[in-house]
Amino acid sequence: MALQLIINGISVGAIYALIAVGFAVVFNIMRFSNFAHGGMISACAFISFFFQRAFDPPPPFYVTILFTAVCGTILALLIDTVAYRRIRIKNSPKIYYFLMSLTFAILIEQVLNVFYGTNMYGFPKVFQSETFMIGSIIFKTMNMVILAVSVVILSALILLINKTKIGLAIRAVAINADTSRLMGINSSVIVTTIFSIAGILAGVAGVFLGVQYGVYPSVGPSMMLKGFIASIIGGLGSLSGAIFAAIALGLIEIFLTFFIGATEATVIMFAIMLGFLFIRPQGIAGKFVEDKA
Amino acid sequence: MNAYQIGLIIQICISVMTVVAIFAMTGLAGMFSLGQAAYMAIGAYITFVLSRFLDIPYYLTGILAIILCILLSWLIAVPTLKLRRDYFALITVGFSQMIVALVLLFEEYTRGSIGFSKIPRADNLLWITLGALVLFVFWIRNLKYSRFGRMAIALKNDEIAAQSFGIDVYHLKIKIYILASAIAGFAGILMALRNRVITPDSFGWAHSSEMQIFLFFGGTNSLTGAILSAASLKLLPELIRDITLFGTSMQEYRTIIYAVLIILVINFRPQGILGEKEITFKWVGNLINRFKKSTVTEKESYD
Repeated sequence: MALQLIINGISVGAIYALIAVGFAVVFNIMRFSNFAHGGMISACAFISFFFQRAFDPPPPFYVTILFTAVCGTILALLIDTVAYRRIRIKNSPKIYYFLMSLTFAILIEQVLNVFYGTNMYGFPKVFQSETFMIGSIIFKTMNMVILAVSVVILSALILLINKTKIGLAIRAVAINADTSRLMGINSSVIVTTIFSIAGILAGVAGVFLGVQYGVYPSVGPSMMLKGFIASIIGGLGSLSGAIFAAIALGLIEIFLTFFIGATEATVIMFAIMLGFLFIRPQGIAGKFVEDKA
Repeated sequence: MNAYQIGLIIQICISVMTVVAIFAMTGLAGMFSLGQAAYMAIGAYITFVLSRFLDIPYYLTGILAIILCILLSWLIAVPTLKLRRDYFALITVGFSQMIVALVLLFEEYTRGSIGFSKIPRADNLLWITLGALVLFVFWIRNLKYSRFGRMAIALKNDEIAAQSFGIDVYHLKIKIYILASAIAGFAGILMALRNRVITPDSFGWAHSSEMQIFLFFGGTNSLTGAILSAASLKLLPELIRDITLFGTSMQEYRTIIYAVLIILVINFRPQGILGEKEITFKWVGNLINRFKKSTVTEKESYD
């Protein structure tokens, strides 16, 4: 039983990690909290749902994931063009980024609300058999798929950032955007890359959330909150810290939900975050991004 | 005036009141909070649930609720405001979700998502709301032009520079946050008295972000701009109620309309509709004078 809870917790944590990293990547480069990420996740959940239902027989699951990731990227780049481009060019205060990302978050949620209602749509069955057994332990197929895909995507992302030339450029821009521009890094290419990465992560997270929790307009924003908490506990702007904290958070949540209850779990998780800020404000990773106010 | 119009005026006043409180926080001190609706929820729920179950008149529990708002905002502010600004926005989002979860958790008393509807009728609510609104607007206006307000504006523009001028940035921020939260709590009580029913959905972070949108639409640096935009944007859905689009009333699209308006404003006039301008009696007087002069010169040019 305990082992099963742990596996469930890690797979929930893996989704949170996808959300938290998508959020942290944008935060690292652009230095603002991208609330629109939650809206993007909702939109992607709906896209994957309608894509899965549009064909008979339904397309293989990996096709849905790929298609949604592409749609997520397009959506992220669209939001960047409409919302952030002019602010970036004018070099306006950070607070405008906040407002714009927030506006897009509620815009997407409301558009979905008006056209599809607040009802929950159940995701159609993806696999023939929903569980399999190894020894005496029952594994949910979906949990394993989520784990595998998340591990692949996150390790690919970490390799991209740590080993490639564009990753070096991303790290340079994260440290100091102006200086890296002086060194000949094309910052608009970097920003496009960053939003594409965020879009892919939002797309994949959207598919998984839709499968696990059902498809409804506020699925993204409400799960986004767990991503926020993870990235705060992990240390804002640190990818590995965010992944670690997200998995821990998934485990804590599954155990709390199992032993106490789902509503209490939300309250306790917030209390954990607030307590963490008291004790160790720089997060687990200890990388505290200082900036001039 | 019929009941509908009175209700509408009260609703607009409450909306202006919350936006004025946010003006003190975001407009003056540059703090971006998304949890103000949570304080409205605390004000509303604590007042009426306590007054029902302990049998105390609601104006006494109302005072208790506002004290609780002050304590809670202090508790949130102390660890958070030491950190960079991003933490503050995130934590307030989390806080508002937590309050909604708490309301659902104590379903026994709050009746959960069905909504709490045992709220007494208040006489003269219109005059109470108008009086409180005038008081708060006058208060915040004085705050803006006082030493306190100038310190807040300095802090908004550059925190480190403000600190080097001897401003206690941390405590100043805590004070402003507590002030804004207390006003939000009061507005929550009024809102409950007006609607006669409170549901947790109406206090989510979507409501908080609506307030921020109102503020930015009018201009973060202009108190009168904030008041005007809060009133007109709140009135807008009522004006387009009878127009239908895709089979539903335009009222359903109000948040979408707000979002599109704010995207246009931030892209093309980031300082808001009014920018730095304040509409004062003097400004109106000057405008009238200029208008008179221009009509005179026009006449002269015709001669």
